Amino acid sequence: MTLTDFSTSSTQATPEADPGTASVTPTVRQAARRGVFWVVLGIIAVGFVIVTALVRGDGGAAGIPLAADSPGLAGSKAVVEVLRDSGVDVVPVGSLEAARDIAGDSTNVTLFFSDPGGYLEADQLDAVVDLAVDTVVADPDFATLQAASAGAVSAGGKPDDDTAAAACSVPAAERAGTATLGQKSLAVDAATADWTGCFASGDDSWAMLQQQADGSTLSLLADGSQLRNDTIAAEGNAALALSLLGQHSTLIWYQPTLADVVGGAAPTLGELSPDWVTPVVVLLALVVVAAAVWQGRRFGSLVVENLPVTVHAGETREGRARLYARTSSRLRAADALRIGTIGRLAARLGLARTASVDEIVGAAASVTGLRLADVRDTLVDARPESDRALVDLSGRLVDLERAVTAATEVGAAGSPASAPPSTERMGS
Amino acid sequence: MTLSGRFVALLALGVLPIILIDSVTPGSAALVLAGWVLLAVVLAGIDLATAASPRSVTVARDLPARVRLGESVAAELYLTNGGTRRLRGVVRDAWQPSAGASVTRSRIDIPAGERRRVTVVLTPFRRGERRVETVTVRSFGWLGLAARQASLVAPGRIRALPPFTARKHLPSRLARLRELDGRTAVMLRGQGTEFDSLREYVRGDDVRSIDWRATARQGVSGAAPQRLMVRTWRPERDRRVVVVVDSARTAAARIENEPRIDTAFEASLLLGALASHAGDRVDFVAWDRRVRGRVQGAAGAELLSRMVDSMAVIEPELIEADWAGVPALVRGITNRHALVVLLTSIDAPGASGALLAMLPQLTRRHTVLVASVTDPATLAAVSDRDDLEAVYRAAAAERALLDVARVSAAMRRLGGEVVTGAPADLPPALADRYIALKAAGRL
Repeated sequence: MTLTDFSTSSTQATPEADPGTASVTPTVRQAARRGVFWVVLGIIAVGFVIVTALVRGDGGAAGIPLAADSPGLAGSKAVVEVLRDSGVDVVPVGSLEAARDIAGDSTNVTLFFSDPGGYLEADQLDAVVDLAVDTVVADPDFATLQAASAGAVSAGGKPDDDTAAAACSVPAAERAGTATLGQKSLAVDAATADWTGCFASGDDSWAMLQQQADGSTLSLLADGSQLRNDTIAAEGNAALALSLLGQHSTLIWYQPTLADVVGGAAPTLGELSPDWVTPVVVLLALVVVAAAVWQGRRFGSLVVENLPVTVHAGETREGRARLYARTSSRLRAADALRIGTIGRLAARLGLARTASVDEIVGAAASVTGLRLADVRDTLVDARPESDRALVDLSGRLVDLERAVTAATEVGAAGSPASAPPSTERMGS
Repeated sequence: MTLSGRFVALLALGVLPIILIDSVTPGSAALVLAGWVLLAVVLAGIDLATAASPRSVTVARDLPARVRLGESVAAELYLTNGGTRRLRGVVRDAWQPSAGASVTRSRIDIPAGERRRVTVVLTPFRRGERRVETVTVRSFGWLGLAARQASLVAPGRIRALPPFTARKHLPSRLARLRELDGRTAVMLRGQGTEFDSLREYVRGDDVRSIDWRATARQGVSGAAPQRLMVRTWRPERDRRVVVVVDSARTAAARIENEPRIDTAFEASLLLGALASHAGDRVDFVAWDRRVRGRVQGAAGAELLSRMVDSMAVIEPELIEADWAGVPALVRGITNRHALVVLLTSIDAPGASGALLAMLPQLTRRHTVLVASVTDPATLAAVSDRDDLEAVYRAAAAERALLDVARVSAAMRRLGGEVVTGAPADLPPALADRYIALKAAGRL
């Protein structure tokens, strides 16, 4: 029962090195050894993910459309690389400020502009168009068209044909010959006729528009799909792209980012709050983690307790009562009550166990002075046809029992009927 | 390893330096944060390094083997620090919940190489073996920031015995037993008694018990005044009582939140105590499909201690009792005529069929007493007729009473005796019936 006997009353133990009682908690080394499989598995999984990412690249990812460094289908890395190989200095920029810095006053600059995110305001768009002599705008949205180019409007709708011939006097288009049309097209407002339309995609709608004024050129590509990696090699797309973008020694590849968004007038919450807020929040998060460790560390393993079965003996009785109630077994219930009452009446009236019902009815009637027919009706004849009749009958049985008790127990009236005597107490 | 509340508080305290230093030199908040966390971690690391190893603790127990249910007992735990550092911390003695340990966590402070005692007061609230398997030691460092923790194997067990609350009925029943016996002034002569001895008449003795022949013999020897001799009688002794407790599924049912088997144990303990005082031999068997507990050939105080000991671990099995095996069981215990007490439940006739079929085999050789607990709630339900639901319930209760009455009548027809009672009443009722049978010489 006990591990050791304690004959010594001294609290001084033997000073020699004691290995201690065996422990069920693994040591750090054991835990490490046990966990090594999972650690290795985790490393392998992470390595696999990294290798896969490196091998596949993010070619499948959508990325930003027409991004200069995106090798995806919608990117434009192909044309940019070709331009670089041809000696053009391609500079991808993400903000108007940067674009302006590089463009400077130089006239030997081409600006490629595409704003699928719609970051720029109208006045910024105005500035963009004025940055360089040659400007190529791909996929212009409504705001861009409004700000940059009077007269050019979106024609909407997918062209009927996939490709079209240049059919215009723009040199770059003529050199390309044919080009794909993409998903959108542009039209020209009749009032301003200084636009040249190329690659007609329908009546009065084109995939490309060009405007020349004051020695500067503004080219609009309806959706810029001619520059995308997946379609650059189709038809004369490549020739068109290189002709448009390779005019000058420098190409600014400008796609606006969040940096271009003009801040609101009201300072943000981050600007208003002091510097220490973020570190304090981080610290409080660490405190929560530490508190979780403090409270969550279990003080040894849980203890198993086998609980006993709990069966209440009254369950069968309750179940039987509900069965009677559900099936409306009124007569059966009434008979059960009558049998109990008759048994107690027989004992109370001093009749033998073998006494017949008629004898008991007669004795009960004579003792209580009730009419024989009434007593017989209560104890034998009445058939309860409704729930109310059953409750009434039950009440009459109780009354009869009480009356017999009162009549047979001289001087002690009343009490026993409320507690029918046990049929089975000590009697043999 | 674990952290303490102090570590959490220390970490949270870092809010102050972050705000204060940042207000003096703006922009340094992140640096202060990193520094403070580093400080806390380093302090906790130092604490861990200075904490005594909980694995170097040797655990030993001093446990009493038994405790009566409802009573308390002190369980002592000795912890020896076999390491080289002072061990400060908390120890948890992982007793089962039903062992009723007063405290499960105690602070300890054990210098290197010394031993300390931790006392836990156990008040089991369930019968049977109550166990403990491990002791968990959490050892804090000097600063109390972090602790090392290990669970040590230190099994122990204590047996919670049946409470035997029915022993309060024992003195009155023993007094009635002495009335049967010749030791009180009221001396009964009749069936169930046997001649004990002759002694001199004292005032108050029944004159009918004067043995004239012995008185005459006394008178021959001397001239002294004639001494009247009376015969004394004593009840039959050295009879056999075999108590069979049914530990099958019906014994698990609870009446007034006490399982039938516990009531049966109380009743058999009272009967055992009484019968062994009366000089009878008591054998105890718990049976369902096989013997779950057995006490044979014990007498006096040893009988009771062995009975409670074997009862402690018996739980009702959720299987049907095999009554056909009981006659052979009784035959294996005694060949003589005996009082066989079956502590079971009397239910519907269908459920008691096997018991009724077996009963004649026992009644042919022995006096058989069937004791069963009745549910007072059934009697209460009979007289509750307030509404329709109550009337149906009363009908079901009447039906249940009728079933019990029919089975009891069948048992009496087969030669058995029946005792029923509520959980609190059954033990004294059984004892009374035993005394009555003894007085009638039917043992």
